[in-house]
Amino acid sequence: MEDQQPRPPAHRFGGELTRREVVAAAGAVPLAAMLPTAAAAQSHLAGRTGHNEATVTVRTVINGTPRHLELDPRASLLDVLREQLALTGAKKGCDHGQCGACTVHIDGRRVVSCLTPAVQTDGAEVTTIEGIAPDDQLHPMQQAFIDHDALQCGYCTPGQIMAAIACVQEGHATSREQIREYMSGNICRCGAYVGIVAAIEDAAPKMRRA
Amino acid sequence: MSAAPFPNTARVDAFDKVRGAARYGADRSPPGMLHAALATATIGKGRIESIDTSAARAVPGVRLVLTHEDLASEIKPAGYLMAGGYASNGLQPMIAPEIAWRGQPIAIVVADTLPAAIEAAALVRASFAVEPIAVELSAEGTQTVVQSESQLPKPMYEDIVAGDADKAFAEAAVQVDAVFTTPAQHQNPIELVGTVAEWKDGTLIIHEGTQNAEAMRHGLARQLGLTPEQVQIVSPYCGGGFGQKNSLQIYTPLAAVAARRVDRPVKLVVPRAAVFHNSSFRPASRHRFRLGADKSGKLIAAIHETDSQSSRHDLFPTLYAETTGHMYAIDNFRGRERLVRTDTQAPGYMRAPFEHVAAFTMESCIDEMAYALGKDPVALRLANDAYADPISKKPFSSRHLAECLTRGAAMFGWDKRQMAPGSMRAPDGTQIGWGVAAGSYKAATAPAIARLTLTDQGRAIINVGVHEMGQGIRTALSNVVAAKLGIAPELVEAEIGVTGASPQHLTAGSWGTATAVPAASEAADAMLKALAELGQSDAAGRKPAELLKAAGRPSLSVEIRRKAPGHPDQIFGRLASGLPSAMGPAYPEYVSFSYIAHFVEVRIEPGTRRIRVPRVVSVVDCGRVVSPRTATSQVQGGVVWGIGAALREASEVDPRFGGFLNADIAEYVVPVNADIGSIEVGFIDKPDPRLNEVGVKGLGEVVMVGVAPAIANAIFHATGKRLRDLPIRIEHVLDKGDL
Repeated sequence: MEDQQPRPPAHRFGGELTRREVVAAAGAVPLAAMLPTAAAAQSHLAGRTGHNEATVTVRTVINGTPRHLELDPRASLLDVLREQLALTGAKKGCDHGQCGACTVHIDGRRVVSCLTPAVQTDGAEVTTIEGIAPDDQLHPMQQAFIDHDALQCGYCTPGQIMAAIACVQEGHATSREQIREYMSGNICRCGAYVGIVAAIEDAAPKMRRA
Repeated sequence: MSAAPFPNTARVDAFDKVRGAARYGADRSPPGMLHAALATATIGKGRIESIDTSAARAVPGVRLVLTHEDLASEIKPAGYLMAGGYASNGLQPMIAPEIAWRGQPIAIVVADTLPAAIEAAALVRASFAVEPIAVELSAEGTQTVVQSESQLPKPMYEDIVAGDADKAFAEAAVQVDAVFTTPAQHQNPIELVGTVAEWKDGTLIIHEGTQNAEAMRHGLARQLGLTPEQVQIVSPYCGGGFGQKNSLQIYTPLAAVAARRVDRPVKLVVPRAAVFHNSSFRPASRHRFRLGADKSGKLIAAIHETDSQSSRHDLFPTLYAETTGHMYAIDNFRGRERLVRTDTQAPGYMRAPFEHVAAFTMESCIDEMAYALGKDPVALRLANDAYADPISKKPFSSRHLAECLTRGAAMFGWDKRQMAPGSMRAPDGTQIGWGVAAGSYKAATAPAIARLTLTDQGRAIINVGVHEMGQGIRTALSNVVAAKLGIAPELVEAEIGVTGASPQHLTAGSWGTATAVPAASEAADAMLKALAELGQSDAAGRKPAELLKAAGRPSLSVEIRRKAPGHPDQIFGRLASGLPSAMGPAYPEYVSFSYIAHFVEVRIEPGTRRIRVPRVVSVVDCGRVVSPRTATSQVQGGVVWGIGAALREASEVDPRFGGFLNADIAEYVVPVNADIGSIEVGFIDKPDPRLNEVGVKGLGEVVMVGVAPAIANAIFHATGKRLRDLPIRIEHVLDKGDL
């Protein structure tokens, strides 16, 4: 389980999740860690839902790790990622599929996780910002966002980067005009669009080479 | 002595932000945390007659439902930010049955899971006694207050007067007299307002993105009967503020009380529709602007009269004429501002709150005047440049507006412009217009306490009162401290946005950099002095960490306090109590503003009449640029805001039932990537050493000022239509006119 959690930032004041927070927030555990902690996990879930019988069992792969999740059928993928799995890179900006801050990949396709029922990920592979590069390495798109200062407050940034990677993989990053069009589902209120377009232009050939 | 130009270093927190590792308030989930949701009023004004929470309580997983019937004695009002208090509204919902605006919270539900809380909140039923409302500026039942005759503090909210503007205008050979309207708008940072409230041993810990941690701390203490030491605010990152998060929100005490009642941490993430109705917004406004010139083109008179939306319970004061009165060498000026009370939550600050609007009125009139005189709009502005403040007659601390205009004109290729409207057209019939406008924003300064700690491992930690909302203040602090100490910027860590050490004064009004950076710079000077006093004989050329090691000191700390010129010493008491303490634009010996010039190309498509902005050039005088990379991004962002304000954004109100109709970010249309083309940025980068030793003024607000009139002026150049109501949309240019 240790390895599956996002590594906390090493040095930013107030920025790190405590180990205790991560454990407590993980309402589900990877299959490999299931046996020793099963009882604890079950009772924890019961406490959270209030009516355990209403949960749905879902098998999914998140950032390369198989997961066995007991889910409230009303819960969005976004809320499950954030509140049960401590994967808080995906952000809630509207909860209506309007802003793109919650963008993740399901089977390689970009989706807004706030409009995706979590139970819909049964049998699917989910990738979040925490899963696009190993450890403290950066995906070429992440590096390009730094190099072109394609962010300000940083809140929409994980969604922008997930959308940007998909934009390149879809073949929709062949010109500035095309990038602008295909990145228009992700709002950056700080207005970093000039940098975002430059970052995608920069990263696209590097991704194709990689 | 001012610092040398700063290097183009990367944003220091970008590494965390691109990995999704930066933790915002609602990213927190302490052990045992429960989730909250709000039920809100479905009337525009009136009183709750009865409230039924039984269905909500019956939802499995619900732990607590609170209404005004539970909270009257548990929460006190925090006071309005602009009236000696701490909150975005002086009226705290849910401590009385009265409803003052549509969407006001009437209940908070706490449940084991978010879906349960949302389901239960939707089941709260209330019946109301309904009262008539007035939500539009011109509606019957509003109440108009002349600001200069109100109880608001003077001289801050006096009319701004120089010479005899009415007489001079009446005698002016060339007159422009125009009425402008601007709509209510919402800041809409992408981070929703969200709180995680947690009690530990009688101490309340709040994780919430804010621009004003100190006001949250003192406001919550006042509301909940705590000492300020019993409240801690944790906001290392704010996911966009733009004025919305400049004070204590009305939801935060609700989450705090709920957490205390259930004895568990509680997370409340406020849905965007509720944020539209309970956080602040830019007020709707109406302006009459009169501008007079003699035949030579010298501007001799300006009169700026405004009506600006306010709330029934709090008076949101305005400073529109502070922009227009000080902008050009106009000897006769009169500004008069009125406030119109409506049935809404209190309006408030949104990026360039008055300046964007004021510049739209004045810079549109300047353009109109240029056409009336047959003079180039850039040349007319240069001819009326001011060399001293026309109101107070004091000098400016620095002013490089003329250079912004001339350099911007050169970068844009302005000399190829033909004056006549409709003179440029693409082969497909697209109408092309080039417009220019200038902007200014006060260079204010707040007091600050800066603590700098250096370790023998080479790290420097700067703790100072400022918040990181994306403007890049961490990077600016790192650059300045690193340059002084001779270490790499990545070795400097900024402890900001968290209460407990240096007071975390409101970060707004473009004073963050001019407040925190000179303080950090002075702290670095104090550190150099302290290092020298360690008595190492061969100190020259050695790194600070080496000096510490040689002296056997694991770390060394210094603290300085800094205030603006003219601030009394008592200002530190005000700072410590979380009250706004900034000063400017008027200082004892000078007046300070930042300046900008925007050059804009618009293209109006022949079939759809869609208005596009493919190209903008903006040149800024913000004093010394302390973080070139993040500063460039800020200018681009401000231009995006100006494009949104000019062409897209309006919060539509419902005159019958109150509230805002387009309360989400699909219907409240903000610029998306496809709306934005090239934005080229230039900096004058001349330090203003009179204002502070680093020579910085301010940047985050001035960048938006003048974009909207540059666009409106470009639309006039393209179409011959003078459009004075924002936002300008397709329907306003459907008629192609005579061109």
